[in-house]
Amino acid sequence: MRPLPTWRYTLHMARYAPWLYLLHTAGWSLMNVLSLAPGLIAKAFFDTLTSKASLSDNIPMLLGLLGILTIGRAALWMGAGYVEITFRFIMSGLVRRNLLRLVLDRPGAAALPFSIGEAISRFRDDGYEAEDNMDWSDEIISQGLFAIVAFAILLSINVSMALIVIVPTIVVSVVAQRASVALGRYRAASSQATSHVTGTIGDIVAAVQTVQAAGAEQRVVAHFQRLNERRRSAILADRVVTQAVGAITANTVSIGTGLIMLLAASILRDGSLTVGDFVLFIAYLSFIADFTNGLGQYLAHYRQTGVAFARMDAMLGNAAPEQLVAHIPLHVHGPLPALLPPINRVNDRLAVLEAHKLSYHHPQSGRGIAAVDLRLQRGTLTIVTGRVGSGKTTLLRTLLGLLPAEAGEIRWNSQLVEDAASFFVPPRCAYTAQVPRLFNETLKQNILLGLPANPALLDAAVWGAVLEHDVQALPAGLETLVGAGGVKLSGGQIQRTAAARMLVRKAELLVIDDLSSALDVETERTLWDRLLTGDVTCLAVSHRRAALSRADQIILLNDGRVEAQGTLDELLAASTEMQRLWASETDETTTEGQLPEERLPEYRGDRR
Amino acid sequence: MRSWHTLSRYWRLLAYYLRPQSLRMGLLALILCGTISIQIITPLVASRFIDRATNGGMVEELIVLALLTMGLALVGQGMAIVETYIAEHVSWSATNALRADILAHLLRLEATFHTAHTPGELIERADGDVATLARFFSRFAIYILGNGALILGVLGLLAYVNWRVGLGLSLFVGLALIAMLRIRASATPLWVAERQASADFYGFLGEYLSGLEDVRSSNAAAFVLRRCAEVMRSWLAITRKAQMRGYALVASSQGLFALGTIVAFALSAVLFRDGTLTIGTVYLIFRYTEMLREPTEQIRNEVQDLQQADASIARIEALLQITPALVEGTDSRLPPGPLAVELDGVSFGYTQESMVLHNISVSLEPGRVLGVVGRTGSGKTTLTRLLPRFYDPSAGSVRLGGIDLRDVRLAAVRERIGLVSQDVHLFNASVRDNLTLFDDAVPDQQIGSVLETLGLADWLQKLPDGLNTMLGSSGIGLSAGEAQVLACARIFLRDPDLVILDEASSRLDPATERLVHTALGRLLAGRTGIIVAHRLSTVAFADDILVLEDGQVREYGPRPALAADPRSHFAGLLRVALGEVSS
Repeated sequence: MRPLPTWRYTLHMARYAPWLYLLHTAGWSLMNVLSLAPGLIAKAFFDTLTSKASLSDNIPMLLGLLGILTIGRAALWMGAGYVEITFRFIMSGLVRRNLLRLVLDRPGAAALPFSIGEAISRFRDDGYEAEDNMDWSDEIISQGLFAIVAFAILLSINVSMALIVIVPTIVVSVVAQRASVALGRYRAASSQATSHVTGTIGDIVAAVQTVQAAGAEQRVVAHFQRLNERRRSAILADRVVTQAVGAITANTVSIGTGLIMLLAASILRDGSLTVGDFVLFIAYLSFIADFTNGLGQYLAHYRQTGVAFARMDAMLGNAAPEQLVAHIPLHVHGPLPALLPPINRVNDRLAVLEAHKLSYHHPQSGRGIAAVDLRLQRGTLTIVTGRVGSGKTTLLRTLLGLLPAEAGEIRWNSQLVEDAASFFVPPRCAYTAQVPRLFNETLKQNILLGLPANPALLDAAVWGAVLEHDVQALPAGLETLVGAGGVKLSGGQIQRTAAARMLVRKAELLVIDDLSSALDVETERTLWDRLLTGDVTCLAVSHRRAALSRADQIILLNDGRVEAQGTLDELLAASTEMQRLWASETDETTTEGQLPEERLPEYRGDRR
Repeated sequence: MRSWHTLSRYWRLLAYYLRPQSLRMGLLALILCGTISIQIITPLVASRFIDRATNGGMVEELIVLALLTMGLALVGQGMAIVETYIAEHVSWSATNALRADILAHLLRLEATFHTAHTPGELIERADGDVATLARFFSRFAIYILGNGALILGVLGLLAYVNWRVGLGLSLFVGLALIAMLRIRASATPLWVAERQASADFYGFLGEYLSGLEDVRSSNAAAFVLRRCAEVMRSWLAITRKAQMRGYALVASSQGLFALGTIVAFALSAVLFRDGTLTIGTVYLIFRYTEMLREPTEQIRNEVQDLQQADASIARIEALLQITPALVEGTDSRLPPGPLAVELDGVSFGYTQESMVLHNISVSLEPGRVLGVVGRTGSGKTTLTRLLPRFYDPSAGSVRLGGIDLRDVRLAAVRERIGLVSQDVHLFNASVRDNLTLFDDAVPDQQIGSVLETLGLADWLQKLPDGLNTMLGSSGIGLSAGEAQVLACARIFLRDPDLVILDEASSRLDPATERLVHTALGRLLAGRTGIIVAHRLSTVAFADDILVLEDGQVREYGPRPALAADPRSHFAGLLRVALGEVSS
């Protein structure tokens, strides 16, 4: 979707916390008033001195006033600071939380078109730009208003000199507008380069053992340095252009100062302009200059904020751009939101699930699945099998809406499923991915992922996933912290934890992508036995005989199409591809003696 | 004492990373002198302008003074652009060097460290923390010195004009600086906590972003958003505390300077009445008092940056001071040819309390292939991690080619070993870089023939950009099975003398697996091999078999002998496997 114009995001964000925003505006406006006052006091001071009349009473009063102003300003600064910190945090917090919410809402397997590091850079840096924009938006307006007041005061003193002050202001805004077009381009390039660098750090630290084992440390660092170098030149260009635009604005202002002096030269001499007036002119010119300078910078920054919003928008998928600034509670105060258990509805009960002409192709490689038909009866086990790259995982993901289907329809009890992604979730469907992910929480939290803790249900799920002995062996049982990505568990334990996560959700349909890659025969057999007890409907990817021999139907994929479909005996009789897959196992195992099964028993336990 | 320690820390860091930039630093200092001079001269010009204008000076002279003011401003701006360019150049070169050093350091640290830190957190530490040092590198020293010089210059000029005014303002500048340093010192621990809170937030984000499929299908978005709120909460609390110190810094310096202005006004009013000062000089004092604020605030800004930089420096130093537990050996090489592998009474545990391996002794002759089998948790993977010396054994020794690994340089050990692990990691880089791990010396032809051997010739043909096609999240996606085949291809491109395969084919369909195994069998000819597997077919071409149980050797011997002995555990395992299918 096309991102909105930046001002609309700004408006939406301001409306999210209107009182805080107004308080922020009020604080900085008052600050501006207090900045204008010292100029007037200085003028009065110089006028008193040069008037020759003995107004000595006046001076202590002026200085006392200045003292009061000082104390007020310091107090105000602290108050406005507190408001600003909170306001800024809430603004970027809103954008970041919305971004996270929307990314979580996308088809899970196709959610991020870039690496984690790059995504983090968008959350971090682009979120910051959005926050900065909000902070500036009202400050620049209030500063502008008081620049007008300052200008009016100057007009009342000397019209022609005051007019000369405003000319640079107009010039500046025109110049900055033009320059900001160029700035957007430089900023986009430097953000891109930054994302590359953060993405690469993420990649490398994730693959640290691969790099170490290959002795590739120096080459990897050299690769990183090349990206660093690219980022440096991109940012250098960005900064110098920004500074040059700043210099143009500052120069127009200093030329204005010179003009004031030229004009003042004659009238100071004839006495129609006092030294106090001159002092006020210089002081207010710099106030107005600060504003024009700030305005120029803000306009450039505004453009850069547009780039930031576009970069974040690219992560939203099909969500409307307004969603990025939708008014959702941040929950940084007060009680945290309660997590509601999924509700079981009567018509969720599965009788039959059908998919018709399901298609999806990966945009980069062009591979995928084409026109796949599927029919699952309640209480049956369906196994999807086929070679590497034949589309097994893609089929599962497309069915579940984890990838957006290009064509085809899905019917649940002959009801058409409109939005697979939000339909195929617990309690209708639960899923174990091929490479499941655990998070840096306790084992229990990893299984529940926010479900209310029901000890009986939890124990049943742990038992169903054949994880009960592992839990016993762990130092803190279910309360053990599993480490980043579950590193403290073995591959098999991670896979069975994911299975427990699926089982605890008590879903009508279980979808499993290749459970066996880290399990031994005995555990796998126990797992299948426990999984299939009772009235369970299951769709699974597997190559293993343990699964194939239990299947009520097998779907054999080849190059994204259904090559054959039926029971094991039917397929072995009809399909050469199936015979080949089946025979490969037999052939290998015969080299091991007369062994038709290919895998070793592997029991429970902990492996690092 | 502490502040001295801090200063010497800064100095070390600056000296190390700025040495290559010394020429540019000199230029920066020169430019700074220029801008300081301009700042001091401009009010002098204006003061003279007022005196001449109020005392009937020549219009031409006044015009010259006005034009001079404009000219000075133009020169100042020109210098500012050059200054930005050089300073940014310096800071980015220095911080990039630091980033590369941190990354290289991270690559030296062993798994114990990496299991405790998420990639998201390390990104924040290697990039986020370093970014806060950008100003520190380019501007800190020069700005502190330059602005210090400016303050001294202005105070000196003021003292020259009138010693009482000079003395009074010196007092205020001194007070302001002391207040700033005090506040800064109290803020540093808060900033350390703030940086950690921010690293925690991005660590949290990175983790859940990489598990989107699991979150989505478990309908756990609400849970993740709730965790998000929790992490943000603690971040807000700490950022508020830390930043308020920053505002306190500004408020106190501004307050003190306003008081200074009041004193300067009072003094000059009295002295003007005395006739000691001209109105132009009063203006000069007024301007200079105002001017003192700017360099002091500049110093304040640097100091405020330093609050964050200080925290980052502390975190970076803490990171760099984590020394790898492994001590480099001195021998520069292992004997040539296939390597003998000996484990001599090896015990090992990831923590002192729980040992994973107990007194393992294995001796594998050069050129033979060892199959390692056993249940999960029996220590198979751990055993393979001792060979490339990811860890040192707690007791006993690991020898390759008869040499204890602790006596050899790490690089000399690892360059001889090809390891394919359970987890496959791909980079967001070209197919070529993913296969060679960024080694440009490997010819394309060799890569092509390896991919052909592994049955990926068709796949390679279909790639839009051949070997230069980008892989990973921003490029072409791979299935888990394809990724595993690519990981195997990596060792074909090297010439290892010891090949270790840790369940390298667990995600492959039987047909593809057979293809890969045939290729691996050919690769193993003339090399020593260790194969860890669940599946008997995978260890079918092993010469010896090691059965591990609870970290101990259950059985070890030539495969045919073990398989033939009906009382052996290995034969028992085969029978269990057989029974599984017939049941």
